[in-house]
Amino acid sequence: MSESDLTQDQRIIERYLGQPARLPDQVREVGERALGGPVRLYAMVDLAEARTLTQRWILLGERRVALVEPSGEARAFDRSSVRAVREEPGLSATLLHILAEANQPPLAELRYTHRQRRAVENVRFVLEQQIEGRSVETGSADVEYARAMAAPVREAQALVAGNRRAVLWRLLAYLAPYRRRLAWGFAAAAVITLVSLVPPWLAGYLIDKVVRPVQDGAVSMDKGATAAWLAVIAMALVFVVRQGAALVRLRLMAVVGEMVARDLRGEVYAHLQKLSMGFFSRKKTGSLITRVTSDTDRLWEFLAFGVVDVSLSLVMLVGLSVVLLSLDWKLGLVMVLPVPAFCWAIFWHGERMERLFLRTWRKWSSMTDVLGDTLPGIKVVKAFSQEEHETGRFSVRNADVTEEANRLHVSWTTFWPTIMLAIHGTTVLVWAFAVPRLLGLGGGGPTLSAGTFVSFLLYTTMFIAPIEVIGQMTRTMNRATSSAHRVFEVLDTEPEVVDVAEPVRLEPVEGRVAFEGVTFGYDGVRQVLRGVSFEVAPGEMIGLVGPSGGGKTTVVNLIARFYDVTGGRITVDGVDVRELDSAHYRRQLGMVLQDPYLFHGTVLENIRYGHPEARPEQVIEAARAANAHDFVVKLPHGYDTVVGERGQTLSGGERQRVSIARAILHDPRILILDEATSAVDTETEREIQEAMDRLVAGRTVFAIAHRLSTLVNASRLFVMKDGRLVESGTHGELLEMEGGIYRTLYTLQREMAKAI
Amino acid sequence: MVRMGKAALRLERREDGQLWAVRDGEERAVRVRRLFPWSEDGRHISLRDVDDGEFALVGPDEQLDDASAGALDEATKGAGFVLEVTAVLDIDEEIEIRVWKVETRQGLRTFQTHLDDWPRETPGGGLLIRDVAGDHYFVPAPGALDARSREWLWAFVD
Repeated sequence: MSESDLTQDQRIIERYLGQPARLPDQVREVGERALGGPVRLYAMVDLAEARTLTQRWILLGERRVALVEPSGEARAFDRSSVRAVREEPGLSATLLHILAEANQPPLAELRYTHRQRRAVENVRFVLEQQIEGRSVETGSADVEYARAMAAPVREAQALVAGNRRAVLWRLLAYLAPYRRRLAWGFAAAAVITLVSLVPPWLAGYLIDKVVRPVQDGAVSMDKGATAAWLAVIAMALVFVVRQGAALVRLRLMAVVGEMVARDLRGEVYAHLQKLSMGFFSRKKTGSLITRVTSDTDRLWEFLAFGVVDVSLSLVMLVGLSVVLLSLDWKLGLVMVLPVPAFCWAIFWHGERMERLFLRTWRKWSSMTDVLGDTLPGIKVVKAFSQEEHETGRFSVRNADVTEEANRLHVSWTTFWPTIMLAIHGTTVLVWAFAVPRLLGLGGGGPTLSAGTFVSFLLYTTMFIAPIEVIGQMTRTMNRATSSAHRVFEVLDTEPEVVDVAEPVRLEPVEGRVAFEGVTFGYDGVRQVLRGVSFEVAPGEMIGLVGPSGGGKTTVVNLIARFYDVTGGRITVDGVDVRELDSAHYRRQLGMVLQDPYLFHGTVLENIRYGHPEARPEQVIEAARAANAHDFVVKLPHGYDTVVGERGQTLSGGERQRVSIARAILHDPRILILDEATSAVDTETEREIQEAMDRLVAGRTVFAIAHRLSTLVNASRLFVMKDGRLVESGTHGELLEMEGGIYRTLYTLQREMAKAI
Repeated sequence: MVRMGKAALRLERREDGQLWAVRDGEERAVRVRRLFPWSEDGRHISLRDVDDGEFALVGPDEQLDDASAGALDEATKGAGFVLEVTAVLDIDEEIEIRVWKVETRQGLRTFQTHLDDWPRETPGGGLLIRDVAGDHYFVPAPGALDARSREWLWAFVD
């Protein structure tokens, strides 16, 4: 398979799983012969009967199922002969039986590890739907297989670790808008490097050309003094220029790094706002926050200092080597030859430290686990008198951390003095080679001047810093590219819900909502909505009820266009929602959720969230309608009270009423209520229900509730089960349906309420 | 309903490939779930029916005939199956994941773990590694592995 033929999922499989990224051609050929037609869906089964790793394939055709063994042998059976699919899940392997009639041998027996599970479950899902008399439309078999197999890695990792060099170049491209500042920063750094080479040379010059000649009487005292003072002034100038350049370099690069980090943060955050809900359901919030904060901060550090430090250290080492070799090539070689060994030693030490850090990190996690467990659960600890036990547990892990940290300290405190000793050893070697030549012990007089020797000694001290930087270069680059990967993954993710080129704006939305044979699945094959159709008139209140997992929340998610349908269509006022300007449409859509989300800010800011220009009178009016005004007035700072992160300073009922006030002010044409009264006490529920009654008036409302008594006044009730709309009608109509789901649920809830 | 030590429990792998449990004249296709897969040597087993209800709880004192014991033993092996690591060939850290290349008793395998998902020590001194797909890899005696494997594992074992 050529690189260009591979999808990203297939690349993940090839790189990480060591398995075929798609059905091998030979297996496809054999399988299609057995199926008598093309392969619609397939999965690899990776365990043999003896539970050794193998490669069997199960292929689904239009009417038949085929099994292709590793030997290439194939057998097939009719899909219509499948009566049941049973699985026996284990710790790491599942045994799946595809059954025919009772007491007949299974049509197939498949053993596979969890890695193959999603792909096999796709096949299983289609077979089970068929048993229930439903058909499932599947996409490309290769795409579905690759998606199922790559999902665990894709969810765990930022993205397939691609070419680090390409990532680095892409990162450096962010410096382009600041190229002038960057050029000045590099120039300043180059000046620092160059002028740093001057003092040792000057010292040697002073000794050889001034001090010695004056002492020997070859130069007059006056002339010598003038030259010496000039050298002192030059030295002072060098230091002034050097520190001036350091100031320019540090400031410019720090600012440039900060600007790039700002650009990246802004770009990532703006892009996150555009991404679809599917992306957020796949990624942990903490991981996304890290990308906007820590990762961009790490990139600042790299761009501000790492880039310049690494490049100039290389220049410095080359410059020093050239200077030393040109001053005296024999002594120069003594100094230069061990440099690669020193760089390697520092690199090696870095690698060892990584492993030590890993151990320390593991111990540290173990210790913080105790904290994370016991502090939030301190009431349980005390109730069971486990304080001493927990203290003991913490002490053991604390001691473990200390032991590992000490191991770490032993390592670096041993390494650095040792490497310094080695570098100083080189200096001693320079002495050992230089002294006989200084004294002329080989006969023929001194072959090395005192000035050159002093210059040499001073240059040797300058080797240490660049050696250290270059030794740690790999680590610095790896850390920066890792952060860049995480940031670029967000930037490279395409929103799944995108507006058409010329979207329609409904001014205003009337609120007529229609589902026309809507089919939807979050992950391609498994459908959570199957052919749902209904029409809702403007101003109707629809109660969505039914067992969990029936598809109620998916219906409202699709109305809000958080996802696009996979089949059929949804229209609002006769227009397909995919044709609408989604931002404009959502401005006319309101949501009140079970756990209302309030932002860090004042009550006023939260009520005004969707309508920032609202006048105070409008805010108060909305709060009154939401039964929130009275409790807000009692807060110390009234509407200016800061409610804290996620509104934690308010009770659940108070937060809910603020969110209703927000929805009332937003004045949506279509309103979604998702279990809005389920998490509060009876009195609060009454107040919220009152507020809701005001809120829903004159709008199209979709309300989800498990407590059916709250929906008896709905215009109609839709009962959802297994992704289908199975019953609809008014409360009274549904109660009259003998054996109906709604009637059963309602009767059960009433009986439970009476029992309580 | 949970029943222990009552009427004799009979287990058999029938022609349809499923494990069937029979007790008090009632029979159901069941699957086994080990209650203590690591700490108690798998001696407590829950037999679950198709709806995942508990048909029977088999304790260490349960008297089973030889055929039933054999069928249960085989099913338990299947349920407790994990890949057994015999050598660690490479551990590489990548962005947000750690990539392991290992030799297992079942064959060569490459898998990935989250960076902060540490291998877990089992009561018998083994090491249990869980990958991003949920598969488990068991190292029964890390100290008995070859020197190179031990070196790779050094950061993960005490």
